Amino acid sequence: MRPTSVSNVQIPEGAAGLGKVNAMLTRRRLLISSLAAAGATAGPLTLASPFARAGAPGSANIRIEIDPEGLYNVQSISLIVSNVLGGYLLERLVYLDEKGEPKPWLAESWETSDDGKMITFKLKPGKTFHDGTPFNAEAVKFLFDTILDPNSASPSKGIIGPLEKVDAVDDMTVRFTFSKPFAPFLGLLGQSFFGFNSPTAVKAAGSAYARHPVGTGPFMFKSWTPGTEVVVVRNPNFKQFRPDAANQGLPYLDSITLRVMTEEGVVASALQTGELDVASLTADAMKPFDGDAGYVIITDKHAKNLMFMEFDYKKAPFSDLKFREAISYAIDRAGVLQAAFGGDGAVAQGPLSRGIPGYDDAVATQFGTPYDPAKAKAILDSLGWVSKDGGVRSKDGVPAHFTVRSYADGTTERGLAVIQANLAAVGIQVDVGTSDWGSFYPTLLKPDWDMDLNRWTWSDPSVMSQLFRSPGHRQLLPPNPAIDSALDAADGELDFKKRMQDVSDAQKAIIEDRLILPILTDWPITVTRKAVEGYHLDYLGYVYAGDLKIAAD
Amino acid sequence: MGRYLIRRLLLAAPVVVGILLITFLIKAAVPTDAVTAMYQGQMSEKDAAQAIAALQAKFHLDLPWYQQLLIYGRDLLHGDLGESIRLRRPVMDEIGFRYVNTLLLTGAALAIALVVGVTTGVVAAAKRNTWLDVTATAIGLFGISMPAFFFGLLLILVVSVWLKLLPVVPHGPIAILLPALSLGLIEAAPISRVTRTSMIDVLRRDYIRAARARGAGELSLILRHGLPNALLVVLTVVGLQIGNLLGGAFIIETIFSWHGIGELAVNSIKWRDFTLTQAIILVSALSYLFLNLAVDVLYAWLDPRVEIQA
Amino acid sequence: MSAALEDAPQFEAESRLAQFAARFLANHSAAFGGLILLLLIVCAAFAPLIAPHDPLAINPVMRLRPPSAEHWFGTDEVGRDLLSRIVYGCRYFLLICFVAASISASSGTLLGLIAGAGSPLADGLVMRLMDVMLAFPYILLVLVVVAILGPSLWTGMIAVGVAGIPGYARVVRAAVLTVRREDYVEGARVLGASRAQIMFGTVLPNVLSPLIVYLSFATPLAALLASALSFVGLGAQPPAPEWGAMLVNSRTFLFSAWWAVAAPGTALFFAIFGLNLLGNGLRDIIDPQS
Repeated sequence: MRPTSVSNVQIPEGAAGLGKVNAMLTRRRLLISSLAAAGATAGPLTLASPFARAGAPGSANIRIEIDPEGLYNVQSISLIVSNVLGGYLLERLVYLDEKGEPKPWLAESWETSDDGKMITFKLKPGKTFHDGTPFNAEAVKFLFDTILDPNSASPSKGIIGPLEKVDAVDDMTVRFTFSKPFAPFLGLLGQSFFGFNSPTAVKAAGSAYARHPVGTGPFMFKSWTPGTEVVVVRNPNFKQFRPDAANQGLPYLDSITLRVMTEEGVVASALQTGELDVASLTADAMKPFDGDAGYVIITDKHAKNLMFMEFDYKKAPFSDLKFREAISYAIDRAGVLQAAFGGDGAVAQGPLSRGIPGYDDAVATQFGTPYDPAKAKAILDSLGWVSKDGGVRSKDGVPAHFTVRSYADGTTERGLAVIQANLAAVGIQVDVGTSDWGSFYPTLLKPDWDMDLNRWTWSDPSVMSQLFRSPGHRQLLPPNPAIDSALDAADGELDFKKRMQDVSDAQKAIIEDRLILPILTDWPITVTRKAVEGYHLDYLGYVYAGDLKIAAD
Repeated sequence: MGRYLIRRLLLAAPVVVGILLITFLIKAAVPTDAVTAMYQGQMSEKDAAQAIAALQAKFHLDLPWYQQLLIYGRDLLHGDLGESIRLRRPVMDEIGFRYVNTLLLTGAALAIALVVGVTTGVVAAAKRNTWLDVTATAIGLFGISMPAFFFGLLLILVVSVWLKLLPVVPHGPIAILLPALSLGLIEAAPISRVTRTSMIDVLRRDYIRAARARGAGELSLILRHGLPNALLVVLTVVGLQIGNLLGGAFIIETIFSWHGIGELAVNSIKWRDFTLTQAIILVSALSYLFLNLAVDVLYAWLDPRVEIQA
Repeated sequence: MSAALEDAPQFEAESRLAQFAARFLANHSAAFGGLILLLLIVCAAFAPLIAPHDPLAINPVMRLRPPSAEHWFGTDEVGRDLLSRIVYGCRYFLLICFVAASISASSGTLLGLIAGAGSPLADGLVMRLMDVMLAFPYILLVLVVVAILGPSLWTGMIAVGVAGIPGYARVVRAAVLTVRREDYVEGARVLGASRAQIMFGTVLPNVLSPLIVYLSFATPLAALLASALSFVGLGAQPPAPEWGAMLVNSRTFLFSAWWAVAAPGTALFFAIFGLNLLGNGLRDIIDPQS
């Protein structure tokens, strides 16, 4: 017997059961339509054209990749916060010139004590914060005290490790005291993490300060629509203390809108329609603009990043230098660069990138490994990893089957595809997997991975110490005297030239140990409309916001 | 009706508790938290430890899950949703405007879905088995076969890049148009089909035939008899789809940069910012329960034949 | 019109299967849908013979090339042939549909039977459970699963399967409640059948019809959901040629290499459309009133 058909709409028998509904209405007012109408009320309709955002000559629209989590440099040193604060709002004691040497900015001069444990800065007079309060030694002290305070939970605290205390000797003199000589300090001072906030504003705003920063920079914070845009306006009382800025007076632009746009495809279109004046893009998205006279493409060849592979050194066979070396020969770095970044970057053979002072090209070339699968196979054979029929190798019954992990990103995923194929070609089978950073990085502390594909961005050679000084950033490195002593020397050597030599030695030691497989440095690309003038980046990658101008066309 | 409402509300309570329970159990199972997610890789383990300890104490992340649940429950009763770990500001500040945005988008999408769906359903039923019907059905099937983000991207491509009708990132109220269209056109398909079916069903009834024989116009029959009944059934469908619309819009929100709850939900997991996640779960669950109740009540009120068992 | 005068029986005992087949072929929707499904199955089964290239062979130099004689659909972001990947992708599509639908249908039906045919307490418990499942924002649950278990194809399929359970449970429960009141069920009880016997022996067969109808339109929804999950990284992992994953990975190239997005997107759409057509037709055949 056929049951009565259940309506094709599955009526939700709600919690109490509304009973069977099988009748139809005879007479009812139509309320559904009014319901629908009620649901559709939007905000007040304005008549402004949605296209009206194309930049008027006094203002620029610049893309930022994600919404900053908060604009307080003490709490956040992420790339996006760093860019916004460092380029437009905050200034620092020093800047780095084109060779990477620290030069005076808000500081007039400085002196290091004989034992290297104290640095005394003299500040340049005449600088004020956006809220009118004066910039002085107290402001400097305030920043560093806040960073050093454990209650701030500041990620900058670890960066300036040996710093013990900061004293305001007088209104324009500050003294830093360290527990031991710390060579990276001056270079690090140029970073936005050590830009100055008005102590008055910080104290007044409390936890809300991150929503309204007050600095000394060429632009002042005006508004922040979360998830959408940050607007900054010209600082009318700005004094340019930086000699390497092209514009030594007030900024040309009235205002700048930093527009949050996460979708790459959308960004390229926005540039084309004029909704954006400046945007960072990937090499693939940049192609439509290549050769177009209406746009200027700026490639940062001083990029300070490195994509590299590392190993779980506690596990065989990765504890064996020769095995790591074999893998190093097997990887087609140019291929990875092509797939991951469209060829936009440089192959890396050393543990530093070209943009970092102390990068030693000679060392890298001499001791690095070119792409040579035949050599890789020979080394593997000699180690006892053999394959019977040209398939996956094995040794003592253990097949060469490993995992490579990475963080989830289009670039790593494409890079991993190439690496997987390269290793398969020499008889090593790898499974690749990515997960988001919050999952990926902590799991490296556990022993269930073999190799990973990682990337750092840093401006100082001390990155090597952070990563490779045993026990290493993942607690996996055995002590290595050659590497450790070179790194310690580099960190403690305050003389710039001598330090560069130590850095070179450290590079050599790390490369020879095949500690990591450097793969590539990618070059960030920025595309600007032709009407934008004066867009250039300093050594650390911050934009000279005061130099920006939009030509009226 | 009053007793029914009270009963429904009481039955909702264990559901909410169950959801909170699951939330905190899940939190206990996830291997890392916002603090470690934020600082990993930015400083050495030794230096991170201090910062992590301070923040963990502040957000009670060092307590066992049931204790965290109790503290959260207590705070909830005071109206305190907590502070976002990553953003360091009250959760309410972040969720407030996003919830409104999601409601706006859902409302607009629903409006489009209803208008398009009901109209095409009526037309298809009235012109049954003609090419109009077939076309409407085909379009309906189209709509439910299209992956949401593919459709959204295509819309941007066609409307903003090829036809240049809208800027790629519109400002102001017009910004709701494309995302609402994406969501709404897809949702229109089941509504259309349901309208058509129940229309056909009604129009076949004996008393309709009788009315037709007496000379009543087709249009008036459709509007006075077919439509109200169809709309009732549509209401049911809408009730079922509410969950999809509210929570599942995260893809649309991400593609169109529409800053709603869905976008935040995805990000909160990425950041392991559990105070945000907890609040979103709570808000979503309550919305769902409330809307379901509203649909049921509306349904009962509109249809005199439905008994409410209190 | 047959004028056969041989000794034919009064009623042609055509098998029900033959009847069904005839109605199936006559219904355009079902026929086209079935054709598409057949195409998918053939591609899946004979992929190595049909695909012109190795779907996993990368070629960084040839990345993002437009359609050409060598690569009919073009190449993806690491230089793999898109046509081959689409063909092999049929396997993943069918696998996902099958596994997810199985999980949803079996668990959901069981729960629906218990709720509908069991005691009021069981009914209440099961329905509360379904309420909790539906009220919990699905995407958050999925993301958390990814965070805990890591992304994989099987976790993805299970996630989709579990999402579908409340739907099936409700349908089956509603059908059971309707059937319960029928006389033949009362008759079985009077004759002394146990609850379980009634549940599985009498009620279940009569619930099959609405169940199949629901299955026919829930499965394509499950396929859609699976592709949505790829958006958050759950599902087939690289380098597997699964259409949802391909679509998501290529979305940054929408404006510069649209073929990389169009190929998997259209394949997904086409396959789901086919399933919907098939479902539509099946509905018309099995349950013409609805």
